[in-house]
Amino acid sequence: MSMGPGPLALTERWEVRAGPHRHAGSTHEGILASWILAAGLAGLWGTTLFGPAAFKVLAVAILSAAGTELLVAFARGGSVVGGLWHACLTGLLLGLTLPATVGWHIPAMGAAVAIIFGKVVFGGLGHYYWHPALVGRVVMQLVFINSLSLGSANGTWPVLAPGHLWFGSVSSPREVDMPAYGGWRTLSDHSPDEAVSMERPVQALRRFAEGRIPPDGELRYEPLLRDALPPWEDTIFGTVPGGIGETCTLALIVAGLFLIYRGYLRWELPTMVIAAAAVAAALLPVESAVEGGGYDWFPIFAAEEGRAVGVAYVLYHLTSGELMLGAFLLAGDTIATPMRAGGQAIFAAGVGALTIFMRLYGVMECDCYWSILIMNTLVGPIDRRVRRPVLGMGE
Amino acid sequence: MLSIRNIIGPRPGFEGGLFLPEYKSVTARRPIERLRADGTLYVPLRVGLDLETSPVVKPGAKVLGGQRLATPASAASVAVHAPTSGAVLGIDRVWTAHDGFLPCAILEPDGRDERLPPGRLWMDESFTGQLADKGVVCPSPRGPAHWVLRQAAQAGVSTLIVNAMETEPYLAADLRTLVEEPGRLVDMTCEIADSLGVERVFIAVPFRHRRVVRRMEAEAVGRHVLVASLAGRYPQCHPIMLVKALLDLEVSPGGSVLDVGAAVIPLSVVRSAAEAVLDDRAATHAVMTIAGDAVERPGVYRVAVGTPVRRLAERVGLTGTVASVISGGPLTGVSVGRDDAVVTAETTAMLFFRRGIESEPLACIRCGWCVEDCPVGLDPAGLVQLESEGSIEAEQVSHLRACIDCGLCSYVCPTSLPLAATIRRIRARHERGQESAS
Repeated sequence: MSMGPGPLALTERWEVRAGPHRHAGSTHEGILASWILAAGLAGLWGTTLFGPAAFKVLAVAILSAAGTELLVAFARGGSVVGGLWHACLTGLLLGLTLPATVGWHIPAMGAAVAIIFGKVVFGGLGHYYWHPALVGRVVMQLVFINSLSLGSANGTWPVLAPGHLWFGSVSSPREVDMPAYGGWRTLSDHSPDEAVSMERPVQALRRFAEGRIPPDGELRYEPLLRDALPPWEDTIFGTVPGGIGETCTLALIVAGLFLIYRGYLRWELPTMVIAAAAVAAALLPVESAVEGGGYDWFPIFAAEEGRAVGVAYVLYHLTSGELMLGAFLLAGDTIATPMRAGGQAIFAAGVGALTIFMRLYGVMECDCYWSILIMNTLVGPIDRRVRRPVLGMGE
Repeated sequence: MLSIRNIIGPRPGFEGGLFLPEYKSVTARRPIERLRADGTLYVPLRVGLDLETSPVVKPGAKVLGGQRLATPASAASVAVHAPTSGAVLGIDRVWTAHDGFLPCAILEPDGRDERLPPGRLWMDESFTGQLADKGVVCPSPRGPAHWVLRQAAQAGVSTLIVNAMETEPYLAADLRTLVEEPGRLVDMTCEIADSLGVERVFIAVPFRHRRVVRRMEAEAVGRHVLVASLAGRYPQCHPIMLVKALLDLEVSPGGSVLDVGAAVIPLSVVRSAAEAVLDDRAATHAVMTIAGDAVERPGVYRVAVGTPVRRLAERVGLTGTVASVISGGPLTGVSVGRDDAVVTAETTAMLFFRRGIESEPLACIRCGWCVEDCPVGLDPAGLVQLESEGSIEAEQVSHLRACIDCGLCSYVCPTSLPLAATIRRIRARHERGQESAS
């Protein structure tokens, strides 16, 4: 029956696979790259504020994390696909939580602990319950409590002085007299001291909550704001002492917005951390410094000499300590957070409220890190409670 | 009329879903182009494996365009006609993307494209009878149009929804049809609605194309048709999602839209029904999107049924080597696999890609995107996790039947987990298990 062209001949085969046949394009490597970029921005700012010592801490943490990951992979005979970049991010995040003054052994050991006890023992990437960097951080906090909590002998921590950014040394700071301190910008550009040291703002807030800042006559908030804390803009720009990545609120907000823009961080998460922390700081009582004064409830409403000192007190709570770093870079780890936006909001509210609660009444340092770890533990129950109804299954 | 709705768009019709990149800028702007049938055609003689037909031409016969090649052998099957005039060289079999090998007539066009004069050969004067006689087929649900409509009528539907949503990337055939023949589409929709005897008639159009929406609204004035403009969030094009968005009815898992009294038919059926009934022409051509990153002149083409995919590629030009060819949309289509496949009456798109998507799956990083985007509220990552542990339970399986196979979970997964494929596999396994149990 063949006349002219016969049956259609097969000349070329193409890929056969089940749909979908295209991919959105966001890969795990891409997500990690964005996170490293965001954390790197905070690291860059931290290096600016704390000098080569900070760079050393970050580098040691990253190298140790990557090295540990490679060693574990070598020992188990597996590959490190995806894991190596994740290890670098873990190391970087751990470095951001540490002060620049620590010796090299703390970031090195912390990163190793983070990788081994935070990640590997649970089965690696995708299987851990607690944020590895924070596991490493709190273990270091418990082991090296002296060098991590106290800083120098009298509890002050350093920050580089104007004119000495990037290259200054934080090893021999000049302690400033806090009541007379007018802010970082009032320091001379040509000061002979490369760094100044003072009490961390979060420490002052803790002392205040315990009623250990004596009142000035009728004024109770004014001594805190005037004599114990640096100006508020210093806590925004990060020119206050603290962990390498903890102080620079502005850089952290930019990094968080970048991640939200990229779609790798849900906006609900940092928003709820900060909102819950604000509510907790506004409402939770502080011990009165006045003899036999009991507790002062609802600090937000405090007004002294016609100034809304309560509002200032709440704002200091938000920009001091680990809260901003936790909200934008640490709480949002995809593996240790609930799956859905609603669950993440609950998770984040818990982080924010617990942070302030522990700051006001707890004895542990690293309040935000502990709160994140506590809420990491609750991810399973939260996930079970915010399930979506399946279409057509009724209410 | 500038209202807030004109600016921010309609409310999402369902939870989940995703606005996909469109890649329609070229295909949607060019008019529908006719590809002349100038090479040998391999016209499949049935539209599905089980839809028997008997050939009515002998090898060596001369046929005119529109002349019958095969006649239905069962109530469910449809007739097949010659796309153009020429000589039948033989009866053979040919590969199709959806049904594998089907019997075909090898037709050598003579280039004159003479057509059978209208008004002959049609046996059945009823509306659905005309559709069957002229070979009108429906791409989704797959099957002959008259059979799809008959089933809808038997189910006693009260609503007809014409689906012109086309929310998948690249596809623009429905959009071009809306632009080029809006009046006929409204006329034909009314005819179909009359034949079904439904109370409500919707034409679902993407809100994004506002001029098309306004034009359709103008055409529908005074008619018993409502033009519904919906957000083009994928998979709004799926019947179950259309019913959810337009009627706020939920189809129970594993069910079809007929269960809630709605018939959803694609716009392409309305178009070819209009050709069959209003122009009295047999459905011998497919209006399809030809696009993809390997195509030189992407666009919407009118292609004779039986055109080999290889010739299609030559006609539109390829910019490089092709790795993967998809019949249908990039998310729900099927791989063509081999270049001796031919265009069938149900083909809505042919996409040529320079590379496939191959990447190693990693561990789930619990990003939650699959959960957030799933249009039916499943937890694909969790199901796959349970499946790998072998601890999947009856309740989860019953949920899983709600899956509409839109593929979004695999599309967004950053660690390339085979989510959609695994869900499909679990479903198939349990459906097999149920069959063997009963």
